[in-house]
Amino acid sequence: MAENLWALREQKKLSVATLASRAGLPIGLIMEYESGQRSIDPRHLARLGRALYVEESEIKLHSDPRPGWGALERQPRRDEGRPPAPPGVFQATKPPREKSPRPPRPAPVPRPPAPARPSQITHLQDLLLRLGRSQEEIEAEVGKPLAELDRQAASQLLVKLQTEMKEGKTAERHRAYLPEAVDQFELNYLTAAQQAGDLLGFVLFDNTHLTGRVIGFGPYSITVQREDGSETTLNKLALVSYTKAAAGKEGPA
Amino acid sequence: MSLSDTLRLLRAKRGGITPLDIEAATALPKGIYRQMEQRYRAVGDDDSIRILADFFGVPFEDLRWRLDWPRKALSRALVAAMANGSAITLDLWNGQQVPGVVRWWDLGAVGLETPDGQLLVIQRHAVERWSPRAAEDIAQ
Repeated sequence: MAENLWALREQKKLSVATLASRAGLPIGLIMEYESGQRSIDPRHLARLGRALYVEESEIKLHSDPRPGWGALERQPRRDEGRPPAPPGVFQATKPPREKSPRPPRPAPVPRPPAPARPSQITHLQDLLLRLGRSQEEIEAEVGKPLAELDRQAASQLLVKLQTEMKEGKTAERHRAYLPEAVDQFELNYLTAAQQAGDLLGFVLFDNTHLTGRVIGFGPYSITVQREDGSETTLNKLALVSYTKAAAGKEGPA
Repeated sequence: MSLSDTLRLLRAKRGGITPLDIEAATALPKGIYRQMEQRYRAVGDDDSIRILADFFGVPFEDLRWRLDWPRKALSRALVAAMANGSAITLDLWNGQQVPGVVRWWDLGAVGLETPDGQLLVIQRHAVERWSPRAAEDIAQ
């Protein structure tokens, strides 16, 4: 037996709004259906049935008005009752609201610049060291101590110094440079001595002296032929020094 | 002779045991011995030197003073002497003290022109101390 829509809705303890939401229909339409002002559109019947968990056939297509409730009365429009606008005068359905001029925003108070980060100061000092420039010099240049720089000024100064570094404006190297070849000079000396057949006098760690001509050498040793024809290989670790020797004399000249 | 050269020599005297053997036999942190021996700058502290002095059976002081005379400091002194054209005096391992002007130097030896005009080739590892030291080493 078919029931009124409002009765089914109340049985399910649903509000009109909930039912409208579930069925995907306008609230006003649901109210009109419930009040019997209009018959339920057959296309909406299935939606309402699903929303109420009932068969379509259980819903009355034309609801009886709920007892004690009058039919829905149409609410008067806002402009009803107003005197009609004189002909030729445009009257907007809704008079434009008079816009009150918005008060001007207060000018933003400039925030005090943040002080330079300690890491920025450290980085600056490191760069100055690498550039060989003194802190006093750069402070005179910027007009204040590094510690009083703000974050932006410190950042700008860092960029400037880093650019100088990239451009190679570094201080003279204080670290000792290393020759390109490990034994380049000694190698040249020994090569020349070997080719010239020079007699060299060697001093060993225990102060013993030895004289001979170089017949071969490597990074760690020198092989010499002594005047009696014997060959001796000297480990460089045991050597102190050597120089050209006078013939017939053991050790340096 | 710098600490690194001395350690290399002491290791050679012990039959050439490896740095790993020394680390395994002592409480030295991993890698520190290799750095002490191979680095040209000063590496190590009193604790590590004491451990090594015990291991090699040599007096602590014999090793400790060498930490302040690393090979890199000798390079700096040689560079400064060459740049200034000034004389330098090298104290050698065998007790000799040799003054002269640096004509060349490399990683293995120094070519020193002695006052008699001879070019004496001195092995760097035989240099114990020198004078003058480079400005940055005096500052330290």
